[in-house]
Amino acid sequence: MESRSVVNKKGKVDFWALTTEPLDVGRIARRIVPETCGAIVTLDGFVRRFTKGKETLYLVYEAYEAMALREMEKLIEQAHEKFDIESVSMVHRLGKLEIGETSVVISVAAPHRKAAFEACQWLIKELKRTVPIWKKEVYKDEEIWVEGEENFSENASDNDQP
Amino acid sequence: MKREICIRVMFFASTADVVGKRTIEVLVPEGSKSKELFDKLIAEFPELSDKKLLFAVNQEYANGNEVLRDGDEVAIFTPVSGG
Repeated sequence: MESRSVVNKKGKVDFWALTTEPLDVGRIARRIVPETCGAIVTLDGFVRRFTKGKETLYLVYEAYEAMALREMEKLIEQAHEKFDIESVSMVHRLGKLEIGETSVVISVAAPHRKAAFEACQWLIKELKRTVPIWKKEVYKDEEIWVEGEENFSENASDNDQP
Repeated sequence: MKREICIRVMFFASTADVVGKRTIEVLVPEGSKSKELFDKLIAEFPELSDKKLLFAVNQEYANGNEVLRDGDEVAIFTPVSGG
């Protein structure tokens, strides 16, 4: 596991990582429970079997790890500027993932739930747009590296996994 | 004659498949901009031109205007698809 953490301006810990090991969603979500917070919103993104009617056998994720960790750090910093939140944990899994396995976890702790929901939604949207990670869809008869759409427009695709 | 500098070029996912390598070293004249290297690589690996490509210099997204220095790390990849 390649992981980074930092004490942010609110005095709480942000954590981000890339790993080939299975993700323990509860453990990542409850890594930080600040006493000044009242809500943690967690995205558990997992491998879907059917996309647009086509059956996925499994996925393979690859990252430009050094740059991905830097981009994740930037997103977390920006999220703190945009939303009233106190702590973020963001972990992406790499390598081969079976159907139903968790590929990404994003947990956001905030004093109130609204900011946590909004920040979590923003973070996954931006992760899918800017963090250099790619997924290969392996089907029965072919394998395809998925290309993100319009990488730097605001309309990143929501059609692909997860 | 200008001195040459050595750039480490990395490929990922579909660009690595197309090129058949993950890392190569390329010599470019000192003072080259990243766009000149990107064009040179696409000329060398024409299969790349079929793809929408993004570039990075030293682990930051590049716009082509970066002046390259000896030992820089350049990456070429398709729009990202994590999540």
